[in-house]
Amino acid sequence: MPPDPAALEGLVVPYLERQPWFLADMSRVDRSVRANARLADLEVLLHERPGLASVVVTVGGHSFHVLVGWREPALAPAILGSRQGAVLGICDDGSGEVLCYDAFADEELSAGLLAIASAGRESARRVRLVQSLVSHASLVYDERLFMKCYRVLEPAPRQEVELLLRLDEVGFKHLLGAVARWERAGWDLALVREYVAGAVEGRALALTSLRDLLGRAADEDRMQSEEVGAAGGDLGSEMRRLGEITGSLHLALAEAFGVRTLQAGDGSPRLAIRVHGDYHLRRVLRTDAGWIVAGFGDDPLIGRFGGGGERREPRFASPLEDLADLSYSLRQVAAEAVAVRPVATWAQARRLAESWERRNRDALISGYLGVEGIGTLMELDRPAAVSSLEALVAERAAG
Amino acid sequence: MAASSRQRLDDPRWYERAVFYELLPRGFYDSNADGIGDFEGLREKLEYLEWLGVDCLWLLPFYPSPLRDGGYDISDFLTVAPELGSTDDLAAVIEDAHRRGIRIISDLVMNHTSDQHPWFVESRSSRDNPRADWYMWADDDHGFADVRVIFLDVEPSNWTFDQRRQQFFWHRFFHHQPDLNYDNPDVVDAMLGVVRFWLDLGIDGFRLDAVPYLYKAEGTACENLPGTHQLLRRIRAEIDASYPGRIMLAEVNQWPDAVVEYFGDGDECHMCFNFPLMPRMFMAIRREQRFPITEILAQTPAIPDGCQWGIFLRNHDELTLEMVTDEERDYMYGEYARDPRMRKNLGIRRRLAPLVDNDRRVGELLHGLLLSLPGSPVLYYRDELLMGDNIYLGDRDGVRTPMQWTPDRNGGFSRADFAQLYLPPLMDPVHGFQAVNVEAERRDPSSFLHWLRRMLAVRHQYPQFATGTLEVLPADNPSVLAYVRRARDVLDGAGEPLASGPSASGLDGAGEPVPSAGAPAAVLCVSNLSRFAQPAELSLGRWEGCTPIELLGRVPFPRVTSAPYSVTLAPYGIYWLELVER
Repeated sequence: MPPDPAALEGLVVPYLERQPWFLADMSRVDRSVRANARLADLEVLLHERPGLASVVVTVGGHSFHVLVGWREPALAPAILGSRQGAVLGICDDGSGEVLCYDAFADEELSAGLLAIASAGRESARRVRLVQSLVSHASLVYDERLFMKCYRVLEPAPRQEVELLLRLDEVGFKHLLGAVARWERAGWDLALVREYVAGAVEGRALALTSLRDLLGRAADEDRMQSEEVGAAGGDLGSEMRRLGEITGSLHLALAEAFGVRTLQAGDGSPRLAIRVHGDYHLRRVLRTDAGWIVAGFGDDPLIGRFGGGGERREPRFASPLEDLADLSYSLRQVAAEAVAVRPVATWAQARRLAESWERRNRDALISGYLGVEGIGTLMELDRPAAVSSLEALVAERAAG
Repeated sequence: MAASSRQRLDDPRWYERAVFYELLPRGFYDSNADGIGDFEGLREKLEYLEWLGVDCLWLLPFYPSPLRDGGYDISDFLTVAPELGSTDDLAAVIEDAHRRGIRIISDLVMNHTSDQHPWFVESRSSRDNPRADWYMWADDDHGFADVRVIFLDVEPSNWTFDQRRQQFFWHRFFHHQPDLNYDNPDVVDAMLGVVRFWLDLGIDGFRLDAVPYLYKAEGTACENLPGTHQLLRRIRAEIDASYPGRIMLAEVNQWPDAVVEYFGDGDECHMCFNFPLMPRMFMAIRREQRFPITEILAQTPAIPDGCQWGIFLRNHDELTLEMVTDEERDYMYGEYARDPRMRKNLGIRRRLAPLVDNDRRVGELLHGLLLSLPGSPVLYYRDELLMGDNIYLGDRDGVRTPMQWTPDRNGGFSRADFAQLYLPPLMDPVHGFQAVNVEAERRDPSSFLHWLRRMLAVRHQYPQFATGTLEVLPADNPSVLAYVRRARDVLDGAGEPLASGPSASGLDGAGEPVPSAGAPAAVLCVSNLSRFAQPAELSLGRWEGCTPIELLGRVPFPRVTSAPYSVTLAPYGIYWLELVER
């Protein structure tokens, strides 16, 4: 017997209120609205002990998903260990008291989620929780698959899911392919994708490159800006390859979602495609087989889309917008690398970091413009593209 | 005896576990004070090689030669260069080496001869002599127009005009090295005779030079043609039938997917060099990230049972850049060869130590990779001392200077007058023989030489390094390369499973590795490719509950749990850890 729905609701809502990711959004929501939180969906996945239920709570126009597990209270400490924050509380499952908790704290239940999300097609022996963010939790199974369990739900199809499936259809392979989709009651609850062990975020590679450059400058005390390309940790060739991948991503997006003509600020018509929209160095991964696009900035609560429970509209814009996002993240990561150096060296480090940024942005553009067919999306020649890009990056830096 | 502690001489698959040592006989030790190293000198120094712990010597060409290409221009295949001694002297070296458990393979150049070879002298003498067709002659130089020129620094074409015969002859390398014509069955028979001659003398196999170019065909790149594979299968069949346990090690400087063709179905070469891996080890350290290495490992196909890669850091040739992309090549040039004299053809002619700015930590890191990545490691003589080079010597001589034995005259290499030496020894204050020599490093227990010897001993104890599987582990830090080598169910030549634990050690004294008992464990190798200290979190989930034990000091590390495993590494630091179930 599973616990009674009302009892679960009584535990889940206060639990949600304790979560930073819930409050991050709820702080904007009136207390009276909060009081209206209600159970929108309950599905019991495992009826016995340990038990498991998928619970959706709606409040203030948002829907939140919590996976609740339960066991006999005496067993729970051994399972949960120090993860006391995961406890929801005690209730009755018909044959006695059980302790309810966030199921991600229980490895056995987390491992079983894969089979549930994939309708029995996938299973795994080992699981680890790698990320617990505002909008989702990520679980890695056997270093082979990973599952993103959405906490803040959106009506299906969620943009990320749609993008992945369509890009796969048009043959864009430089991404972590979708393996299974867990959908219920009009929401995407989770997405299972390939996991590439050993992949590294673009940001980490960029920091490695900067560490080498700035470290060498400190050692040698005579590094000139023009020598940036000669530094051991040069990132130029990697950025050129990333530019190529970005170009093919845009061609695939254009094929999947079409090309539109929008009016530019000066009233002239401009080609627009469905852009990635949140393209930066954390969204791309370097694998042993080259770069892949890891994610699509799937977060209903943060980012440029702002809050609100309504469905976000796909963004059509100039492909330069994505390149500008990426270029801007080169600048941010360079600033980050400079900031950890001794203050006395900042002037020199900044100069080098600027050269580094310019070199890598140029490499990115070269790779991008070198992609066959990219002329159908990019009407500008290289100098014009570079100056537009610089303007867009400056806009981001200012705003 | 040492043989029992290392390679059993009756194991036909010895090469899968062997550590090779490439040496230049004329540069190793001069026993008769004529300024040139010789076989008797080599025999006297076998004790050193046994002490170091190598299993097989690869002798660079020792045949008579005008020496216009480091001996790869052979003028007689069936004897040894008189300045090195006699064939009997070589036989004595082989016998002594075998007694010590050390095998010997020799270089064999099948593709071409010297233009001084009697075969070519006869062939060029007229158009109708008995050997007129032993080489590739043509009336014009239009044939094989698409074939690339390999030594493009010095050779404008693969065709050279011969005044006497009034025809052009074909050469893939230097113009004084005419290519043999393997379409002529007499040439094939002659070369098989050469192979038998040396195997009968006791040579354990051949390092086959320039293998891809043996057969030529119009309209092709004249590389990797079916005829070449057919010839290799024929030689292999001969070896299997009459000389079991002898090996063919091919030099095929191509991408891995082309190279694996030279293993055939296990019926061509026993070993091939893995060329692309080498420059990428250097590149990974320069970029402080693992992808140059993991990328090439991911592209390296599986090889048939009974085959093995040969891997190396440096050899007698330039650091080959043929197998990196143009962009990477520019990068390597910029990094490792700022002085234009250091560049040569498509490579860089530097020894290991100056290539890494004489940084011992990088030397250890590179050798740690060499000894733990898949393949049999091939050391280049003197790299065990981290010796330098002399870029002011011509051609590739800069990396072929004499071995440095002692701080005495001529580095203990020869008692001849200095002016008599085949090449001057290094005398600069950093790499010169007074600073870097065997005697000093053998006396110093903390020398690089001793460190390498300990690592070789550890490697011999763990067959995983030789024949195990390799799995690259995810690490959050791109500067950290981690992989696990795990034993396969390997049977030795006699059909017995290999000893599950490490075998007896060749080391003595305190602090030596103590082998652990039980089933063959996995060995985790973690390397920091950065010159700065690095942390890393490794995904070791599969080994949850295991205790990693460091192989040199047998120090237990914290037990693996389900959480990511944290390690911290010193600059260029390496760990080899056995994952022991407890």
